[in-house]
Amino acid sequence: MQIVIIGNSAAGLSALEAFRRVSRESSVTVISKETVRPYSRVLLPYYLRGKTPHSNLFIRDKDYFKEHNAECIHDRVVKVDPKSQQVILESGRMLEYDRLLIATGSSPVIPPIPGLNGKGIYHMWTLDDAEALAPYYEKGGKVVVIGAGFISLQAAWAALYRGLEVCVVELMPRIMPRVVDEHCAQVLTNRMEEMGIDLRVNSLTEKIERSAFGVFVLHIKGGETISADFIIVGAGVRPNIDFLKDTDIEIDRGILVNDRMETNLPGIYAAGDVAQVPSALRPEAVVHALWPTAVKSGRIAGTNMAGEKAIYSGSLNMNVTQMFDTTVASMGDFIETDGMESWTDENLPKDQYFKILLKDGIPVGAVAVGGPDLIATLGLLQPLIREKIHVGAQPDKLKTIVAQNLAQHHQAFIK
Amino acid sequence: MRFITMDVNKCVVCRNCEYACAFRQSGDFNRDNSNIRVEYYDDAKIGFPMTCLHCDDTWCLEVCPAAAIHRNENTGAVEIIGERCVGCKLCVLSCPFGNIYFDHEHQISRKCDMCQGEPNCVKFCISGALQYTTVETTYQNNREIFQRFVRSLQGEA
Repeated sequence: MQIVIIGNSAAGLSALEAFRRVSRESSVTVISKETVRPYSRVLLPYYLRGKTPHSNLFIRDKDYFKEHNAECIHDRVVKVDPKSQQVILESGRMLEYDRLLIATGSSPVIPPIPGLNGKGIYHMWTLDDAEALAPYYEKGGKVVVIGAGFISLQAAWAALYRGLEVCVVELMPRIMPRVVDEHCAQVLTNRMEEMGIDLRVNSLTEKIERSAFGVFVLHIKGGETISADFIIVGAGVRPNIDFLKDTDIEIDRGILVNDRMETNLPGIYAAGDVAQVPSALRPEAVVHALWPTAVKSGRIAGTNMAGEKAIYSGSLNMNVTQMFDTTVASMGDFIETDGMESWTDENLPKDQYFKILLKDGIPVGAVAVGGPDLIATLGLLQPLIREKIHVGAQPDKLKTIVAQNLAQHHQAFIK
Repeated sequence: MRFITMDVNKCVVCRNCEYACAFRQSGDFNRDNSNIRVEYYDDAKIGFPMTCLHCDDTWCLEVCPAAAIHRNENTGAVEIIGERCVGCKLCVLSCPFGNIYFDHEHQISRKCDMCQGEPNCVKFCISGALQYTTVETTYQNNREIFQRFVRSLQGEA
């Protein structure tokens, strides 16, 4: 059997490893559009901050593909032909497959701002981006970050940490609308401003001009201007699916898959950022574009491609990062909608925050800003959310509930 | 393989294990540096020592975006490679048992590594609650155990 995996990041690697756990036999080809060893994009802001060296960005050994009895081709897929079961590469090469995994990930959205291109303007998404940004972070000066999402703010924090002057320009009325609730955003906003970030919300960048000295000028709607030595753009990501436009593969916001990561086309699977996968919380499928989801969905795909049956328990959105000398994290639902109750830890100091949302006594999500201990408590919620466990009206007794039941049932705890 | 068992009926909440672990980790007796924690539940009257279960289905290892968590082939322990960890805390968030901690000094995650096969907590346990024993079946925090645990929660509710 001939296996082809397009993509060598979280989902592709996890699929290859899962496949090889089941089968050592079939020939596996991994196609990567990048020419480097597998690396982790999660680490890029930590690299720019100086927390981890360049060599640590690579997360698999040099012999990795050999050890997994796979061939890695550095090329770009231009087309998939499901009828002849072939993948066509930019170099003209064609690869036949019996089972194909699409794990092509996602790419940054480029907002329609005139002047938003050329040297000095970067995303923070690929290794190339980080390597281009590294000298700017070294040199100092002033950066404007367009967008106040999760990745943008990590870039901003890394720049502030390195001593740069940082301005963040956000279109929406508040920061991180897709990762935290309003209160958490406010706590973090206060912190950012105290630490010296020039944060502008409700600000639409209308155009960008470049002066003769290589300095940028951003024109904000309403007449304000902001100067910058370089610009980082973070306006979200979208799945890499352009090469599939001539196929009948079902696409909504991402490639639609079932709980085995199968698409509607026989023998074709999808996983990671490119796939719209079952959700752990509700019937509607989701595109989360998160590392944990990519790892898990890749593993499910790889196992199924090897002929064993694996069922995905659904993606649960999880975000955590260290920024502005605090930790921010969220899981599941973090904004109240109808029929939800919320519990907030009232004993925390003002610069910390922990909220759990419940529906009929069952936790559906949480958000936290503060110390790592809060994050560990948030972690205890994951099984409860996934398995829909009733914790009643006392989420503060969470640890007790988890511990007592664990003691009764876990092999490590002898009775 | 061998691992640390924790007997809730024997634990007397002396916290020697916490001190022993902290001393081994950091050279002082600050219990915040311990990778084993004892919780005392007054309503149930039990002391509950808790440290990493070195799961077979290892959520922290699988999710680590820095490839900083691996399994020690000699001891079977799931270990954090400090030089690779960036302190992103995805492992802390992923552990369903709350057994991964954060090293504030180095700004990285830390957890039980079974002291390379000679766990200090077990050595200093005065009641026999902690035992470093060999188990016949491979120790598993697999779906089955987890599901049982979950069912018991549902039963109680």
